Amino acid sequence: MTISAETLELLIVAATALAAVAPIILLILWVRDRSGGKLW
Amino acid sequence: MNNDAVLDASTGWLILALFSVAWIWLGWWLGRRAKGLEGFMLAGRRVGLALGTATAMATWVTSNTTMAAPQLAFQMGLWGMVGYSLGSIGLMLFAPLAKRIRELMPNGFTSGEFIRLRYGKTAWRVFLGISLFYAFGWLVSLGMAGGVLINALTGIDYHVGMSVILAVCVAYTLLGGLRAVIGTDFIQAILILTGIVVIAVLAISNVGVDRMHEAVLEERPELLNLLFPAAIMFLFNNLLFGIGEIFHSNVWWSRAFAFREGVGFKAYMIAGLFWTPVPIVAGFVALTAPALNLNVPAADMVGPMVAAELLGVGGAVLVFIVVFSALASSLDSLLAATSDLVLTDIYKGHFKPQASEEQLARAARWVVLILGVATWALCWPRLTTLAELLYLTGAFVASTIWPVAAGLYWKRVNPNGATLAMLLGTVVGLSAYFMVGFYVAALVSAAVSMSLVLLTTWLAPREFEWATLNQGATR
Repeated sequence: MTISAETLELLIVAATALAAVAPIILLILWVRDRSGGKLW
Repeated sequence: MNNDAVLDASTGWLILALFSVAWIWLGWWLGRRAKGLEGFMLAGRRVGLALGTATAMATWVTSNTTMAAPQLAFQMGLWGMVGYSLGSIGLMLFAPLAKRIRELMPNGFTSGEFIRLRYGKTAWRVFLGISLFYAFGWLVSLGMAGGVLINALTGIDYHVGMSVILAVCVAYTLLGGLRAVIGTDFIQAILILTGIVVIAVLAISNVGVDRMHEAVLEERPELLNLLFPAAIMFLFNNLLFGIGEIFHSNVWWSRAFAFREGVGFKAYMIAGLFWTPVPIVAGFVALTAPALNLNVPAADMVGPMVAAELLGVGGAVLVFIVVFSALASSLDSLLAATSDLVLTDIYKGHFKPQASEEQLARAARWVVLILGVATWALCWPRLTTLAELLYLTGAFVASTIWPVAAGLYWKRVNPNGATLAMLLGTVVGLSAYFMVGFYVAALVSAAVSMSLVLLTTWLAPREFEWATLNQGATR
Protein backbone atom coordinates (compact mmCIF):
# COMPACT_ATOMS: atom_id res chain seq x y z
CA MET A 1 0.00 0.00 0.00
CA THR A 2 1.78 3.10 -1.25
CA ILE A 3 1.04 6.71 -0.42
CA SER A 4 -0.11 8.71 -3.44
CA ALA A 5 1.76 11.78 -4.68
CA GLU A 6 -1.27 13.95 -3.81
CA THR A 7 -1.46 12.74 -0.19
CA LEU A 8 2.29 13.11 0.21
CA GLU A 9 2.09 16.64 -1.15
CA LEU A 10 -0.75 17.48 1.24
CA LEU A 11 1.27 16.18 4.20
CA ILE A 12 4.41 18.07 3.22
CA VAL A 13 2.68 21.34 2.36
CA ALA A 14 0.56 21.28 5.55
CA ALA A 15 3.63 20.55 7.72
CA THR A 16 5.68 23.27 6.00
CA ALA A 17 2.85 25.80 6.35
CA LEU A 18 2.50 25.08 10.08
CA ALA A 19 6.28 25.32 10.59
CA ALA A 20 6.29 28.62 8.65
CA VAL A 21 3.50 30.10 10.76
CA ALA A 22 5.10 29.02 14.06
CA PRO A 23 7.89 31.65 14.24
CA ILE A 24 5.41 34.40 13.29
CA ILE A 25 3.09 33.38 16.13
CA LEU A 26 6.04 33.21 18.51
CA LEU A 27 7.00 36.76 17.57
CA ILE A 28 3.40 37.98 17.97
CA LEU A 29 3.26 36.35 21.42
CA TRP A 30 6.59 37.98 22.28
CA VAL A 31 5.30 41.44 21.34
CA ARG A 32 2.07 40.83 23.26
CA ASP A 33 3.91 39.60 26.39
CA ARG A 34 6.41 42.44 26.22
CA SER A 35 3.79 45.16 25.88
CA GLY A 36 1.78 43.60 28.74
CA GLY A 37 4.88 43.37 30.96
CA LYS A 38 4.56 39.57 31.01
CA LEU A 39 7.71 38.54 29.18
CA TRP A 40 9.57 37.49 32.35
CA MET B 1 39.95 16.22 8.81
CA ASN B 2 36.84 15.14 6.95
CA ASN B 3 37.10 15.32 3.17
CA ASP B 4 33.33 14.82 2.69
CA ALA B 5 32.50 18.03 4.63
CA VAL B 6 29.92 20.22 2.87
CA LEU B 7 31.52 23.47 4.15
CA ASP B 8 35.14 24.51 4.39
CA ALA B 9 36.66 24.76 7.87
CA SER B 10 37.24 28.54 7.71
CA THR B 11 33.51 29.20 7.06
CA GLY B 12 32.72 26.76 9.86
CA TRP B 13 35.04 28.60 12.26
CA LEU B 14 33.50 31.95 11.32
CA ILE B 15 29.93 30.76 12.05
CA LEU B 16 31.07 28.98 15.20
CA ALA B 17 32.85 32.10 16.47
CA LEU B 18 29.96 34.45 15.63
CA PHE B 19 27.32 32.30 17.30
CA SER B 20 29.52 31.48 20.29
CA VAL B 21 30.08 35.17 21.02
CA ALA B 22 26.38 35.94 20.44
CA TRP B 23 25.12 33.18 22.79
CA ILE B 24 27.59 34.01 25.55
CA TRP B 25 26.86 37.75 25.36
CA LEU B 26 23.10 37.07 25.35
CA GLY B 27 23.48 34.72 28.31
CA TRP B 28 25.28 37.40 30.30
CA TRP B 29 22.86 40.13 29.21
CA LEU B 30 19.73 38.11 29.98
CA GLY B 31 21.07 36.74 33.23
CA ARG B 32 22.24 40.03 34.69
CA ARG B 33 18.84 40.55 36.32
CA ALA B 34 18.59 37.05 37.78
CA LYS B 35 18.44 37.55 41.53
CA GLY B 36 19.07 34.82 44.10
CA LEU B 37 18.62 31.09 43.78
CA GLU B 38 15.12 31.23 42.27
CA GLY B 39 16.30 33.80 39.75
CA PHE B 40 19.18 31.58 38.67
CA MET B 41 17.41 28.19 38.78
CA LEU B 42 13.86 29.13 37.78
CA ALA B 43 14.12 32.53 36.08
CA GLY B 44 12.13 34.08 38.94
CA ARG B 45 9.07 31.85 38.23
CA ARG B 46 7.57 34.50 35.95
CA VAL B 47 8.28 33.25 32.42
CA GLY B 48 5.55 34.33 30.00
CA LEU B 49 3.79 32.45 27.18
CA ALA B 50 6.07 33.50 24.29
CA LEU B 51 9.32 32.50 25.97
CA GLY B 52 7.67 29.48 27.60
CA THR B 53 6.40 28.10 24.29
CA ALA B 54 9.69 28.75 22.50
CA THR B 55 11.83 27.12 25.18
CA ALA B 56 9.65 23.99 25.31
CA MET B 57 9.73 23.70 21.53
CA ALA B 58 13.41 24.48 21.00
CA THR B 59 14.56 22.17 23.80
CA TRP B 60 12.65 19.26 22.26
CA VAL B 61 14.21 20.00 18.84
CA THR B 62 17.60 18.41 19.34
CA SER B 63 20.38 17.78 16.86
CA ASN B 64 18.67 14.40 16.45
CA THR B 65 15.48 16.02 15.21
CA THR B 66 17.21 18.10 12.58
CA MET B 67 19.81 15.55 11.47
CA ALA B 68 18.18 12.21 12.27
CA ALA B 69 14.78 13.14 10.81
CA PRO B 70 16.17 13.19 7.23
CA GLN B 71 18.15 10.05 8.07
CA LEU B 72 15.00 8.29 9.31
CA ALA B 73 13.04 9.43 6.26
CA PHE B 74 15.85 8.06 4.09
CA GLN B 75 15.87 4.72 5.95
CA MET B 76 12.24 4.24 7.03
CA GLY B 77 10.46 6.54 4.63
CA LEU B 78 7.14 8.12 5.39
CA TRP B 79 6.62 6.44 8.77
CA GLY B 80 10.15 7.39 9.84
CA MET B 81 9.34 11.10 9.75
CA VAL B 82 5.70 10.78 10.79
CA GLY B 83 6.71 8.47 13.67
CA TYR B 84 9.33 10.96 14.76
CA SER B 85 6.79 13.77 14.71
CA LEU B 86 4.67 11.83 17.23
CA GLY B 87 7.33 12.88 19.75
CA SER B 88 5.16 15.98 20.09
CA ILE B 89 2.46 13.93 21.86
CA GLY B 90 4.72 13.84 24.93
CA LEU B 91 4.82 17.65 25.02
CA MET B 92 1.05 17.93 24.61
CA LEU B 93 0.33 15.28 27.26
CA PHE B 94 2.63 17.12 29.64
CA ALA B 95 0.53 20.30 29.26
CA PRO B 96 -2.11 19.33 31.88
CA LEU B 97 0.64 17.90 34.09
CA ALA B 98 2.52 21.22 33.98
CA LYS B 99 -0.63 23.00 35.15
CA ARG B 100 -1.13 20.46 37.92
CA ILE B 101 2.53 20.65 39.01
CA ARG B 102 2.34 24.45 39.29
CA GLU B 103 -0.86 24.19 41.34
CA LEU B 104 0.35 21.47 43.69
CA MET B 105 3.92 22.75 44.11
CA PRO B 106 3.97 26.54 43.61
CA ASN B 107 7.32 26.63 45.44
CA GLY B 108 8.75 23.43 43.98
CA PHE B 109 12.18 23.12 42.40
CA THR B 110 12.66 19.66 40.89
CA SER B 111 10.93 16.47 39.76
CA GLY B 112 13.00 14.60 42.37
CA GLU B 113 11.47 16.72 45.11
CA PHE B 114 7.98 15.64 43.96
CA ILE B 115 8.89 11.93 44.07
CA ARG B 116 10.42 12.31 47.57
CA LEU B 117 7.38 14.08 48.96
CA ARG B 118 4.87 11.88 47.16
CA TYR B 119 6.42 8.42 47.57
CA GLY B 120 9.22 8.66 50.15
CA LYS B 121 12.98 8.30 50.13
CA THR B 122 13.38 4.85 48.54
CA ALA B 123 11.31 5.83 45.51
CA TRP B 124 13.22 9.14 45.41
CA ARG B 125 16.60 7.37 45.20
CA VAL B 126 15.40 4.95 42.54
CA PHE B 127 14.00 7.89 40.57
CA LEU B 128 17.21 9.88 40.95
CA GLY B 129 19.20 6.91 39.63
CA ILE B 130 16.94 6.72 36.56
CA SER B 131 16.82 10.46 36.03
CA LEU B 132 20.55 11.08 36.37
CA PHE B 133 21.41 8.10 34.16
CA TYR B 134 19.09 9.47 31.49
CA ALA B 135 20.37 13.04 31.88
CA PHE B 136 23.99 11.94 31.51
CA GLY B 137 23.10 9.70 28.57
CA TRP B 138 21.43 12.65 26.85
CA LEU B 139 24.20 15.12 27.77
CA VAL B 140 26.92 12.81 26.46
CA SER B 141 24.98 12.01 23.29
CA LEU B 142 24.44 15.74 22.64
CA GLY B 143 28.07 16.62 23.34
CA MET B 144 29.25 13.85 21.04
CA ALA B 145 26.67 14.80 18.41
CA GLY B 146 28.05 18.36 18.53
CA GLY B 147 31.58 17.18 17.76
CA VAL B 148 30.48 14.68 15.12
CA LEU B 149 28.13 17.10 13.32
CA ILE B 150 30.58 20.00 13.31
CA ASN B 151 33.20 17.63 11.91
CA ALA B 152 30.81 16.25 9.29
CA LEU B 153 29.62 19.68 8.19
CA THR B 154 32.87 21.65 8.29
CA GLY B 155 35.76 19.24 8.73
CA ILE B 156 36.72 20.85 12.07
CA ASP B 157 38.26 18.21 14.35
CA TYR B 158 35.74 16.29 16.52
CA HIS B 159 37.51 17.16 19.80
CA VAL B 160 37.68 20.86 18.96
CA GLY B 161 34.04 21.12 17.84
CA MET B 162 32.76 19.14 20.83
CA SER B 163 34.84 21.25 23.25
CA VAL B 164 33.67 24.54 21.71
CA ILE B 165 29.96 23.75 21.79
CA LEU B 166 30.15 22.42 25.36
CA ALA B 167 32.22 25.39 26.54
CA VAL B 168 29.79 27.89 24.97
CA CYS B 169 26.71 26.26 26.54
CA VAL B 170 28.39 25.94 29.96
CA ALA B 171 29.55 29.57 29.78
CA TYR B 172 26.17 31.15 29.11
CA THR B 173 24.29 28.81 31.46
CA LEU B 174 26.82 29.73 34.14
CA LEU B 175 26.43 33.44 33.46
CA GLY B 176 22.66 33.63 33.28
CA GLY B 177 21.10 30.42 34.62
CA LEU B 178 17.62 29.53 33.35
CA ARG B 179 16.97 33.10 32.14
CA ALA B 180 19.89 32.78 29.73
CA VAL B 181 18.75 29.31 28.67
CA ILE B 182 15.16 30.40 28.00
CA GLY B 183 16.12 33.69 26.32
CA THR B 184 18.56 32.03 23.92
CA ASP B 185 16.02 29.24 23.30
CA PHE B 186 13.60 31.84 21.89
CA ILE B 187 16.10 33.00 19.26
CA GLN B 188 17.19 29.43 18.58
CA ALA B 189 13.54 28.38 18.03
CA ILE B 190 13.07 31.15 15.44
CA LEU B 191 16.34 30.19 13.68
CA ILE B 192 15.52 26.47 13.62
CA LEU B 193 11.98 26.96 12.27
CA THR B 194 13.00 29.54 9.67
CA GLY B 195 15.97 27.46 8.51
CA ILE B 196 14.06 24.24 7.97
CA VAL B 197 11.18 26.05 6.24
CA VAL B 198 13.57 27.76 3.77
CA ILE B 199 15.18 24.41 2.88
CA ALA B 200 11.77 22.72 2.58
CA VAL B 201 10.33 25.45 0.32
CA LEU B 202 13.38 25.21 -1.93
CA ALA B 203 13.07 21.43 -2.07
CA ILE B 204 9.38 21.68 -3.01
CA SER B 205 9.91 24.40 -5.65
CA ASN B 206 13.14 23.02 -7.16
CA VAL B 207 12.32 19.33 -7.18
CA GLY B 208 8.54 19.14 -6.82
CA VAL B 209 6.59 16.50 -4.92
CA ASP B 210 5.52 14.65 -8.11
CA ARG B 211 9.10 14.21 -9.32
CA MET B 212 10.24 13.25 -5.84
CA HIS B 213 7.41 10.70 -5.51
CA GLU B 214 8.18 9.22 -8.91
CA ALA B 215 11.93 8.88 -8.25
CA VAL B 216 11.46 7.32 -4.80
CA LEU B 217 8.86 4.92 -6.18
CA GLU B 218 11.34 3.80 -8.82
CA GLU B 219 14.45 3.48 -6.63
CA ARG B 220 13.22 2.91 -3.04
CA PRO B 221 9.47 2.04 -3.18
CA GLU B 222 9.48 0.69 0.40
CA LEU B 223 9.94 4.27 1.68
CA LEU B 224 6.45 5.17 0.51
CA ASN B 225 4.89 1.97 1.82
CA LEU B 226 2.21 2.69 4.40
CA LEU B 227 2.62 -0.81 5.87
CA PHE B 228 6.41 -0.78 6.41
CA PRO B 229 6.57 -3.01 9.58
CA ALA B 230 9.91 -1.84 11.06
CA ALA B 231 8.81 1.78 10.72
CA ILE B 232 5.44 1.15 12.40
CA MET B 233 7.20 -0.49 15.40
CA PHE B 234 9.55 2.46 15.58
CA LEU B 235 6.52 4.76 15.67
CA PHE B 236 5.02 3.22 18.83
CA ASN B 237 8.32 2.87 20.67
CA ASN B 238 9.24 6.45 19.87
CA LEU B 239 5.89 7.64 21.18
CA LEU B 240 6.33 5.95 24.59
CA PHE B 241 10.02 6.82 24.82
CA GLY B 242 9.16 10.49 24.26
CA ILE B 243 6.38 10.46 26.87
CA GLY B 244 8.72 8.82 29.40
CA GLU B 245 11.49 11.32 28.68
CA ILE B 246 9.23 14.32 29.17
CA PHE B 247 7.15 13.10 32.12
CA HIS B 248 10.09 12.35 34.40
CA SER B 249 12.83 14.74 33.29
CA ASN B 250 13.61 17.80 35.32
CA VAL B 251 14.14 19.67 32.04
CA TRP B 252 10.34 19.85 31.70
CA TRP B 253 9.50 20.05 35.40
CA SER B 254 11.84 23.01 35.94
CA ARG B 255 9.97 24.85 33.18
CA ALA B 256 6.62 24.02 34.77
CA PHE B 257 7.95 25.64 37.98
CA ALA B 258 9.47 28.58 36.09
CA PHE B 259 6.41 29.52 34.00
CA ARG B 260 4.00 32.18 35.22
CA GLU B 261 0.72 30.93 36.67
CA GLY B 262 -1.63 29.93 33.83
CA VAL B 263 1.17 29.65 31.24
CA GLY B 264 2.28 26.00 31.57
CA PHE B 265 -0.71 24.33 29.91
CA LYS B 266 -0.84 26.70 26.93
CA ALA B 267 2.95 26.79 26.47
CA TYR B 268 3.34 22.99 26.31
CA MET B 269 0.26 22.57 24.13
CA ILE B 270 1.37 25.19 21.56
CA ALA B 271 4.97 23.93 21.70
CA GLY B 272 3.72 20.41 20.91
CA LEU B 273 1.67 21.74 18.00
CA PHE B 274 4.63 23.69 16.60
CA TRP B 275 7.00 20.75 17.11
CA THR B 276 4.78 18.25 15.22
CA PRO B 277 5.72 19.41 11.68
CA VAL B 278 9.46 19.80 12.42
CA PRO B 279 10.54 16.16 11.79
CA ILE B 280 8.36 16.04 8.65
CA VAL B 281 9.68 19.34 7.26
CA ALA B 282 13.29 18.50 8.18
CA GLY B 283 12.86 14.89 7.09
CA PHE B 284 11.10 14.90 3.73
CA VAL B 285 13.99 16.70 2.01
CA ALA B 286 15.83 13.37 2.24
CA LEU B 287 13.25 11.89 -0.14
CA THR B 288 14.45 14.30 -2.83
CA ALA B 289 17.86 12.57 -2.89
CA PRO B 290 16.85 10.00 -5.57
CA ALA B 291 15.34 12.75 -7.78
CA LEU B 292 18.50 14.82 -7.39
CA ASN B 293 20.64 11.76 -8.25
CA LEU B 294 22.62 12.24 -5.06
CA ASN B 295 25.02 9.51 -4.05
CA VAL B 296 24.66 9.52 -0.25
CA PRO B 297 27.69 7.86 1.42
CA ALA B 298 26.15 7.83 4.93
CA ALA B 299 22.45 8.15 5.74
CA ASP B 300 23.09 10.72 8.48
CA MET B 301 24.55 13.15 5.93
CA VAL B 302 21.54 13.14 3.61
CA GLY B 303 20.01 16.36 5.07
CA PRO B 304 23.11 18.58 4.66
CA MET B 305 23.86 17.05 1.24
CA VAL B 306 20.39 17.85 -0.11
CA ALA B 307 20.55 21.39 1.36
CA ALA B 308 23.98 21.96 -0.19
CA GLU B 309 22.75 20.62 -3.55
CA LEU B 310 19.69 22.92 -3.51
CA LEU B 311 21.26 26.04 -2.04
CA GLY B 312 24.99 25.64 -2.56
CA VAL B 313 27.21 26.98 0.22
CA GLY B 314 24.26 29.01 1.55
CA GLY B 315 22.31 25.78 2.14
CA ALA B 316 25.17 24.19 4.01
CA VAL B 317 25.57 27.33 6.15
CA LEU B 318 21.84 27.26 6.90
CA VAL B 319 22.01 23.60 7.98
CA PHE B 320 24.99 24.39 10.19
CA ILE B 321 23.13 27.27 11.89
CA VAL B 322 20.01 25.12 12.38
CA VAL B 323 22.04 22.23 13.82
CA PHE B 324 24.12 24.52 16.06
CA SER B 325 20.94 26.16 17.38
CA ALA B 326 19.25 22.80 17.93
CA LEU B 327 22.28 21.47 19.81
CA ALA B 328 22.70 24.55 21.98
CA SER B 329 18.99 24.83 22.84
CA SER B 330 18.93 21.27 24.20
CA LEU B 331 22.39 21.19 25.78
CA ASP B 332 21.87 24.36 27.81
CA SER B 333 18.44 23.21 29.04
CA LEU B 334 19.79 19.85 30.07
CA LEU B 335 22.79 21.38 31.82
CA ALA B 336 20.57 23.76 33.79
CA ALA B 337 17.91 21.18 34.71
CA THR B 338 20.41 18.46 35.65
CA SER B 339 22.38 20.87 37.79
CA ASP B 340 19.12 21.79 39.58
CA LEU B 341 18.52 18.09 40.26
CA VAL B 342 22.08 17.51 41.50
CA LEU B 343 21.98 20.66 43.64
CA THR B 344 18.54 20.14 45.21
CA ASP B 345 18.29 16.37 45.46
CA ILE B 346 21.90 15.28 45.85
CA TYR B 347 23.85 18.19 47.39
CA LYS B 348 21.10 19.63 49.59
CA GLY B 349 18.98 16.49 49.87
CA HIS B 350 21.78 14.13 50.84
CA PHE B 351 24.81 16.13 52.01
CA LYS B 352 23.94 19.68 53.10
CA PRO B 353 20.31 19.80 54.24
CA GLN B 354 20.97 23.01 56.22
CA ALA B 355 22.64 24.87 53.33
CA SER B 356 21.60 28.53 53.12
CA GLU B 357 20.23 30.13 49.96
CA GLU B 358 23.53 31.95 49.39
CA GLN B 359 25.48 28.69 49.69
CA LEU B 360 23.08 26.98 47.29
CA ALA B 361 23.29 29.84 44.80
CA ARG B 362 27.10 29.56 44.84
CA ALA B 363 26.99 25.77 44.62
CA ALA B 364 24.55 25.97 41.67
CA ARG B 365 27.25 27.55 39.49
CA TRP B 366 29.85 25.01 40.57
CA VAL B 367 27.47 22.18 39.74
CA VAL B 368 26.92 23.55 36.19
CA LEU B 369 30.69 23.78 35.72
CA ILE B 370 31.40 20.30 37.11
CA LEU B 371 28.62 18.78 34.98
CA GLY B 372 30.06 20.48 31.90
CA VAL B 373 33.57 19.19 32.62
CA ALA B 374 32.28 15.67 33.38
CA THR B 375 30.31 15.63 30.10
CA TRP B 376 33.37 16.87 28.20
CA ALA B 377 35.56 14.14 29.75
CA LEU B 378 33.02 11.44 28.82
CA CYS B 379 32.69 12.80 25.28
CA TRP B 380 36.43 13.06 24.68
CA PRO B 381 37.19 9.38 23.83
CA ARG B 382 34.31 9.41 21.29
CA LEU B 383 33.05 6.01 22.36
CA THR B 384 29.99 5.25 20.26
CA THR B 385 28.77 2.93 23.01
CA LEU B 386 28.26 6.00 25.19
CA ALA B 387 26.01 7.61 22.59
CA GLU B 388 24.08 4.36 22.38
CA LEU B 389 23.36 4.72 26.10
CA LEU B 390 20.51 6.98 25.10
CA TYR B 391 18.72 4.11 23.34
CA LEU B 392 19.03 2.07 26.53
CA THR B 393 17.41 4.80 28.58
CA GLY B 394 14.04 4.08 26.90
CA ALA B 395 13.60 1.18 29.34
CA PHE B 396 14.44 3.45 32.29
CA VAL B 397 12.34 6.50 31.49
CA ALA B 398 9.22 4.64 30.35
CA SER B 399 9.03 3.01 33.81
CA THR B 400 8.43 6.45 35.36
CA ILE B 401 5.40 7.43 33.23
CA TRP B 402 2.81 5.84 35.50
CA PRO B 403 4.36 6.66 38.89
CA VAL B 404 4.62 10.33 37.81
CA ALA B 405 1.22 10.72 36.16
CA ALA B 406 -0.71 8.66 38.74
CA GLY B 407 1.14 10.38 41.57
CA LEU B 408 -0.01 13.77 40.33
CA TYR B 409 -3.69 12.86 40.05
CA TRP B 410 -4.54 9.84 42.24
CA LYS B 411 -4.57 10.20 45.99
CA ARG B 412 -4.37 6.48 46.66
CA VAL B 413 -1.30 5.34 44.73
CA ASN B 414 0.74 2.89 46.78
CA PRO B 415 4.28 4.34 47.26
CA ASN B 416 5.91 0.89 47.43
CA GLY B 417 4.04 -0.06 44.27
CA ALA B 418 5.36 3.05 42.53
CA THR B 419 8.94 2.22 43.60
CA LEU B 420 8.56 -1.37 42.46
CA ALA B 421 7.02 -0.18 39.19
CA MET B 422 10.11 1.92 38.40
CA LEU B 423 12.51 -0.86 39.39
CA LEU B 424 10.79 -3.80 37.70
CA GLY B 425 9.68 -1.76 34.70
CA THR B 426 13.33 -0.85 34.08
CA VAL B 427 14.63 -4.40 34.61
CA VAL B 428 12.04 -6.06 32.37
CA GLY B 429 12.33 -3.28 29.78
CA LEU B 430 16.11 -3.77 29.69
CA SER B 431 15.67 -7.53 29.29
CA ALA B 432 13.34 -6.88 26.35
CA TYR B 433 15.93 -4.49 24.88
CA PHE B 434 18.62 -7.19 24.88
CA MET B 435 16.41 -10.18 24.08
CA VAL B 436 14.06 -8.67 21.48
CA GLY B 437 15.28 -5.26 20.30
CA PHE B 438 15.43 -1.53 21.03
CA TYR B 439 11.95 -1.00 19.61
CA VAL B 440 10.18 -2.84 22.44
CA ALA B 441 12.17 -1.62 25.48
CA ALA B 442 10.02 1.43 26.28
CA LEU B 443 6.79 -0.41 25.45
CA VAL B 444 7.52 -3.35 27.79
CA SER B 445 8.85 -1.11 30.56
CA ALA B 446 5.74 1.12 30.48
CA ALA B 447 3.41 -1.91 30.44
CA VAL B 448 5.09 -3.54 33.46
CA SER B 449 5.20 -0.27 35.37
CA MET B 450 1.53 0.46 34.62
CA SER B 451 0.44 -3.02 35.74
CA LEU B 452 2.32 -2.71 39.03
CA VAL B 453 1.00 0.77 39.84
CA LEU B 454 -2.59 -0.30 39.11
CA LEU B 455 -2.32 -3.65 40.89
CA THR B 456 -0.67 -2.37 44.09
CA THR B 457 -3.01 0.62 44.28
CA TRP B 458 -6.01 -1.68 43.89
CA LEU B 459 -4.73 -4.20 46.46
CA ALA B 460 -3.27 -1.77 49.02
CA PRO B 461 -4.35 1.86 48.45
CA ARG B 462 -2.67 4.57 50.56
CA GLU B 463 -4.16 7.96 51.29
CA PHE B 464 -2.12 11.08 50.51
CA GLU B 465 -2.59 14.73 51.44
CA TRP B 466 -1.92 16.99 48.44
CA ALA B 467 -0.97 19.83 50.79
CA THR B 468 2.19 17.85 51.70
CA LEU B 469 3.59 18.69 48.27
CA ASN B 470 3.24 22.41 48.82
CA GLN B 471 4.46 22.51 52.42
CA GLY B 472 7.35 20.17 51.77
CA ALA B 473 8.58 22.05 48.75
CA THR B 474 8.71 25.38 50.56
CA ARG B 475 12.22 26.42 51.53
